[in-house]
Amino acid sequence: MADLKDLFTAVVEMQEDTALSLTHSYLDQGIPAIDIFNCYQDALAEIGKRFEQQIYFIPELIMSGEMMKVSAEILKPYLAAQDSGSGGQTQKKLGKVLIATVEGDIHDIGKNIAAMMLELNGFDVMDIGVDVPADKIIEEAMAFGADVIGLSGLLTLAFDPMKSVVEKLKEKGLRDKVKVLIGGGQMDEQVCSYVGADAFVNDAVVGVNFIKGWLN
Amino acid sequence: MEQGSDKLSVIERQDAFLAKWVSGEGIEFPSEENKAAYQERAGLVADAIKIDQNIKRVPIMPLTTFAPTMLKGISGRQAMYDPDAAGQAYLDFCTTYGPDTAGSAPMLMYGPALETLKYNLYKWPGNGVADHLSYQFHEKEYMKADEFDHLISDPTDFWLRSWIPKTHAALAPFASMPPVYGSMELPMLGPLLVALGTPPIQEALKALMEAGKQCFDWINVLGSYLGQIMAAGYPFGAGSATKAPFDVLSDSFRGTTPLMMDIYRRPDKVLAAVDRLVRPMIESGVSGAMANGNPLVFIPLHKGADGFMSDDQFKKFYWPTLKAVMYGIVEAGCVPACFVEGGYNQRLEYLAETSDIRCMYLFDRTDMKKAHDQLGGKVCIAGGFPVSLILTGTPDQVKEETKKLIDTAAGKKGYILSIGCAMDEAKADTLSAFIDAGKQYGVY
Repeated sequence: MADLKDLFTAVVEMQEDTALSLTHSYLDQGIPAIDIFNCYQDALAEIGKRFEQQIYFIPELIMSGEMMKVSAEILKPYLAAQDSGSGGQTQKKLGKVLIATVEGDIHDIGKNIAAMMLELNGFDVMDIGVDVPADKIIEEAMAFGADVIGLSGLLTLAFDPMKSVVEKLKEKGLRDKVKVLIGGGQMDEQVCSYVGADAFVNDAVVGVNFIKGWLN
Repeated sequence: MEQGSDKLSVIERQDAFLAKWVSGEGIEFPSEENKAAYQERAGLVADAIKIDQNIKRVPIMPLTTFAPTMLKGISGRQAMYDPDAAGQAYLDFCTTYGPDTAGSAPMLMYGPALETLKYNLYKWPGNGVADHLSYQFHEKEYMKADEFDHLISDPTDFWLRSWIPKTHAALAPFASMPPVYGSMELPMLGPLLVALGTPPIQEALKALMEAGKQCFDWINVLGSYLGQIMAAGYPFGAGSATKAPFDVLSDSFRGTTPLMMDIYRRPDKVLAAVDRLVRPMIESGVSGAMANGNPLVFIPLHKGADGFMSDDQFKKFYWPTLKAVMYGIVEAGCVPACFVEGGYNQRLEYLAETSDIRCMYLFDRTDMKKAHDQLGGKVCIAGGFPVSLILTGTPDQVKEETKKLIDTAAGKKGYILSIGCAMDEAKADTLSAFIDAGKQYGVY
């Protein structure tokens, strides 16, 4: 595999223009797309470490998400053409997470950040938007085969709709099939126990770690 | 600013404005008892802000949005469409629970005026969210990346001809208006007036006139309740509100995601823009406080919290202009009251820099022991009580937690008991337990 250290550094240091031009130039030089793709994955792992060490925060999460999206678009045709059967695009996912902002709450920033962070960490994420009724959340989660349901809400008015999701899961005999994680600025132990969730988070990195712990 | 106040130091100016507010000057009290009650309550708040070591009790300042109306079974929609119902609920909230400050009922705003303007920066009950809920911010990229120069060179022109047309659909025609500067000379005035005469802009101006009239009528109804609240002995916990420049850019203009990328893509533009917004944010806070005769300028803080950005980013992009707004506000004798949403455990050292002015930090999820250790005795601290307990706990739990919080946060005086959230809803029994426990355990 080619040494793509400069690309790795550019991605890790959020130099998106440099990363983009290096990606093009390595492709032009005939470096296999899979090597470039893996370099991005390695960079992402390093970025992930920096989130955990609280060196990186939301700006870097959004920037790295953007760089991954752009690079994936560029590499996709090359990867398809060069696929040897072990290509990066068939990378195994760590598990399935369905995420939604609960009924009555239209805030999506926290949900989007959590979804992005989960995707970057190798989860298969299905985001079904904001103001989603409990029945719809459960129906979609079952169809998707979710291991975890992530419920987001900024308002205190989200507490009861969250509780309703858990109660309906129980009624349908599905509670043991999925973990329920609640997230938002006003979530705490008290709300978690009121809702009957498995855990609460105020921070996407913590959420990813919970889910990794559950699914390992 | 009062005449002669330019000879006073900043702190003296602040103390003079606080004293005037505490006096209840201009309020028509029905009895001496009511006047004394008003003065006692406002006095407690002022003493906490001044970190007066002779303060008698921890003041209690619950922040509310829709809680007073929801407690009375009034829907969010009715609260925004019926000023009599909203005003009466805010008055009843004070007389029922007996807090030391009243919530700002006008912050509920008036639904019909928003409808006239076809306002889309928020969704509100009946317009995008269900009738029983509260209004909610509808964040979008209302300012594009290529508009930074417009904002930086002329914030008002940007506001009027770019941002307002996008966020107030009835005023969209303002986007085709020329800049107002043609009015500098008679021969150049024509284009502006001609544009104002075009049918679309005429319609937009009519909508603006109509919304203004609707709000004027609304405040005339609501205002009578505001007067009754003060006359009953309850000072308002805020005279006005303004924002940290970074939050204006993030919440209302660019949107969180685009602005977070701007930090990397165009950092100099971000810095120039937040700097440009300092003066308008000072003016916005001061003018409202002066008009209401109440020095407290609320500043809700959003995107600088722990977890949103690094310490270096906070130091570079967020804090300097927030601090500049706070120091501008105090020049006029007002008191910046930052509503510190989220957690600020990693930012307390910055807040401690403001110990040379009177200001208040009302915390949401910050560790109150840390806040007390690092800020106690230097600036007024407030808040820290979890709203989750008010909504899902028992009165006994609330009482216990209130006592614990006072023990943790009030030791150096200069503490105001509050819930770390502007409440959209509440429960009567736990809210009573909270306020009663505050009065019981908060006595020094």
